[in-house]
Amino acid sequence: MSLDTQTRFAVALTDPAAPVPKGLASWTGSQPERRFAVYRNNVIAALTGALAARFPASQQIVGEAFFAAMAADFIRAHPPRSPLLLSYGDDFAEFVERFEPAKAIAYLPDVIRLEAARGKAYHAADVASLDAATLAALSPARLADLVFVPHPSLCVLRSPHPVVTIWAMNAGEAALQPIANWAAEDAMVIRPHLIVEVRRLPPGGAAFLQALAQGTCLAAAVDIATEDADAFDLSANLAGALQSGAFIAFR
Amino acid sequence: MKNSIATLALAGSLASALATIAAPAAFAAENSEKCYGVAMKGQNDCAAGKHDCAGKSTMDFDKGSFKLVPAGTCTSMKTPDGHGMLMPA
Repeated sequence: MSLDTQTRFAVALTDPAAPVPKGLASWTGSQPERRFAVYRNNVIAALTGALAARFPASQQIVGEAFFAAMAADFIRAHPPRSPLLLSYGDDFAEFVERFEPAKAIAYLPDVIRLEAARGKAYHAADVASLDAATLAALSPARLADLVFVPHPSLCVLRSPHPVVTIWAMNAGEAALQPIANWAAEDAMVIRPHLIVEVRRLPPGGAAFLQALAQGTCLAAAVDIATEDADAFDLSANLAGALQSGAFIAFR
Repeated sequence: MKNSIATLALAGSLASALATIAAPAAFAAENSEKCYGVAMKGQNDCAAGKHDCAGKSTMDFDKGSFKLVPAGTCTSMKTPDGHGMLMPA
């Protein structure tokens, strides 16, 4: 196959309005159109399966039929650019954000982002987390300038919706029930060992972790977090970050 | 930020954080959980077991037919400002 033929073949696979590529023949005698239609269907079905495997809670929220239809539209607009299916759907949340039929579910894109972060954390490099005891030996004078190295699986997500609660309820982690306190939630996704963890962050926690993860020194990160939330509790946040294995080293 | 008061505050917070960690049942950001289902299963099977290969290929929810569905759990999450409701778009 020439590159040109390949390109036309690939385009026709995900575009149902495109004509069947020229030069197709079928030895069984039935029309090549029908054979190609099977191929088209398999491509969409396989990629829909990949998205459903990566975003199970999102599928649970909208139902299988809605998810499949939304996925098919996404697949046509964003065919895979890499042969690695594990990264397919990185831009699914942005697509869903602009997807008219899903507009009523304003929190759906953030649930998708959370699930995407979980997938990335799962496939991130294995690195041992920082042993908190090594910090005890530091001289207090060094603390303000301390810079932490984030764990490769760390992801901090901020949402105006109760995204952690919604995700947990639809991932089977919590009982499905009315959400009485419909409040913004920030999430931390981390895989310190073999298991991906999702944690709800306390006030200011997201700003604190994001700043530290970008290499901001401890004192400046504390300022940023306090600016973000008056209720920021440094001790609790440090303990939470160290305990969940958010960092692998400091300098 | 490098004055001695800030340094003291940091040192105090760190000390209490380390003490918290040493104690059992310490602070944990809420909702830690077990992960499953992240591992990609074999998605490459023909039709992923959901459609038979023949004849389904023209199946294609267009925008019109979508308006019906979302029959998931989100409608059962009632919220003060109605976010759990799924109105047809």
